[in-house]
Amino acid sequence: MTLPQNDDNPCRPRHFKPAACAPAPLEGPAKQSLETSHTRLIITAALFCLAFLVIGARLIEVAGFKASDTRFARFHAVDKPETRADIVDRNGVLLATTLEAPSLFANPKLIHHPERVAEQLANLLPDLSEGEIAAKLASDKSFVWIKRQLTPSQEFEVNRLGIPGLQFQVEDRRVFPKGNLAAHVVGYDDLDGKGLAGIERGFDDILKSRSEPVKLSLDVRLQYILRDEIAHAVSDFSAAAGLGIIMDVNTGEVLAMVSLPDFDPNVPGSLTSESMFNRVTLGTYEMGSTFKIFNTALALDTHTATMASSFDATNPIHIGRFTIHDDHAQRRWLTVPEIFEYSSNIGSAKMALAVGTDRQREFLGRLGLLKAPSFELPEIGAPLVPSPWGEVNTMTIAFGHGISVSPLQMATAVSAIVNGGVLHRATLLKRPAGYAPSGQQVISLHTSQEIRRLMRLVVERGTGKLAEGSGYLIGGKTGTAEKVAAGHYERKALFSSFIGVFPITEPRFLVMISIDDPKGDKWSHGFATGGWTAAPAVKRVVERMAPLEGIPPVDENSPEIRRSLMVDSPDLQERKLAAN
Amino acid sequence: MIRFSTVLWALLVGVSGYAMFQVKYEVMQLEDELAHVNHQITDGREQIRVLDAEWSFLNQPSRLAQLSKRFLDLAPISPEQIGHLSQLPRRSPLPPAAAAAAAPPSVSSQPTAAPRLVIARGTVLR
Repeated sequence: MTLPQNDDNPCRPRHFKPAACAPAPLEGPAKQSLETSHTRLIITAALFCLAFLVIGARLIEVAGFKASDTRFARFHAVDKPETRADIVDRNGVLLATTLEAPSLFANPKLIHHPERVAEQLANLLPDLSEGEIAAKLASDKSFVWIKRQLTPSQEFEVNRLGIPGLQFQVEDRRVFPKGNLAAHVVGYDDLDGKGLAGIERGFDDILKSRSEPVKLSLDVRLQYILRDEIAHAVSDFSAAAGLGIIMDVNTGEVLAMVSLPDFDPNVPGSLTSESMFNRVTLGTYEMGSTFKIFNTALALDTHTATMASSFDATNPIHIGRFTIHDDHAQRRWLTVPEIFEYSSNIGSAKMALAVGTDRQREFLGRLGLLKAPSFELPEIGAPLVPSPWGEVNTMTIAFGHGISVSPLQMATAVSAIVNGGVLHRATLLKRPAGYAPSGQQVISLHTSQEIRRLMRLVVERGTGKLAEGSGYLIGGKTGTAEKVAAGHYERKALFSSFIGVFPITEPRFLVMISIDDPKGDKWSHGFATGGWTAAPAVKRVVERMAPLEGIPPVDENSPEIRRSLMVDSPDLQERKLAAN
Repeated sequence: MIRFSTVLWALLVGVSGYAMFQVKYEVMQLEDELAHVNHQITDGREQIRVLDAEWSFLNQPSRLAQLSKRFLDLAPISPEQIGHLSQLPRRSPLPPAAAAAAAPPSVSSQPTAAPRLVIARGTVLR
């Protein structure tokens, strides 16, 4: 069979079919057609070869080489990326976490007996009223929230009712397992997981964006001890409020921070403006005689006074409408250690006058007491500083009146005075082990050592005697400020504090407790001063925390310790000899 | 000959097609299994979070203090109960009765005064 010679139909498919027998010599259009087909065949074959090559190469790639991780990411178990990060204490104890919580909603169109369902639900969810639920269920919408964020047992009970039309939607819920314990530090969130206070608010962006827990400097054990003792003191002395802080004097880490009354972040009902107020960071107070730590350090550091200098504290000072007098009046000339020990206001005021207003203001500024500190919590109170700062202010500030600072600032500054004179920024974040914080030298090491001796003196036989006897070498200073009420100082309304540092030979921790408006009782002979209310509480805190920190008690009367804490003052030594 | 190779190729196509689908179904089944396991892992992680929270909740210091008060006869360690190894008297070569007679009262009175002596080696007590 030969191909038609004259194929003038262009639409006819051109098959290639070889001749059955001896090929006829092809010429003209037949040869052309054959060549076209041949070319097409080669092109098609080449395309197929290419396709198989590609498939082969891909096979080798898939089987032979390890695929990059991202390609197989979908095969790994992935947590929801939007989970808010946990907050833990310095030892990894959980303070805040996010759990899945079922929220109950209803489709009223599917519910036939709203009253009966409402009754059953009201039995299971006691904080909802039956009428309220019935009203929701009777509406003509197809979606109503009954209650958001149920507990697992409530979810189980609702499921057991088996009512069609009730359904759950899983939502994230912020849970604070330690409840009240660190409420002011950790803070709390709204229902949609937005931080409203504390670290939850201050670190809102960080908590949202990472999955690693935020590690605080807080130690839950110390937090409990501090809260427990402050609560005791507040109830013993029928006080209005209490606050306290434990700080590592060498790093500025806050190990515990308590403000009473407090609240349970899991229970929105416990949030009142009174309980939410963070007295340690947001509250500012006239701190009273604890300010004499700064006043004495200033006088010694500027060489205006030495440990052997003395000031006349015989008569009260009258200036303008003020009278400065002493609570433990000695009515004689007092040496610097005696002024500190008996907490003499008159002596302190004269010491401050000798230093001068400018140097006093510059010094307090250097200690960070004149402006709001930078801190991790958003609740930060700015100090109240006198303006203008006259001579009267210089004298009252010497014993902690006429200037209001937050207890956090106070603890930070006293830490700097006793740790060798280096000011560290207070922080709520755990410092890594072996971290050497940089700080600013605010007083000389020598002055720092002298202040340590003076603070030991206060506890040994001065106004802070009730903090003595623990074996942990506490040094400290009492402070009792009269609170301002209706524009004048109220002799009966007090703000009583004690700042303790231990072990005073080589300070590691600062424990500060303040009791707001304590009432003297029979045990305290009617006194409500810092020495009677806060000092015993600090002593108990130290006794409970020292074993946890591995600090062994020492014999306070051993000769080495006596010698290391000896106060270099001729008057006192004579007095001691006479007494012996 | 042509017939034989055609049959061979048809057979090969059939076998490879069957094998391909076999593998495909196996992979699908494995993927299902994987998804299931992944789901179990995320579930397990969520359960761990719940248990962590519960552990922390049940370990509230105030609750532990209450339980300890109710069930244990323990009190906070007082400073007198903590001592150093060096504070212990050295073992006497004499028999106990003779040693008691020979020892000065000041040495023996310290350890016996504390009913429960906790020995700290200068390390952390927990």
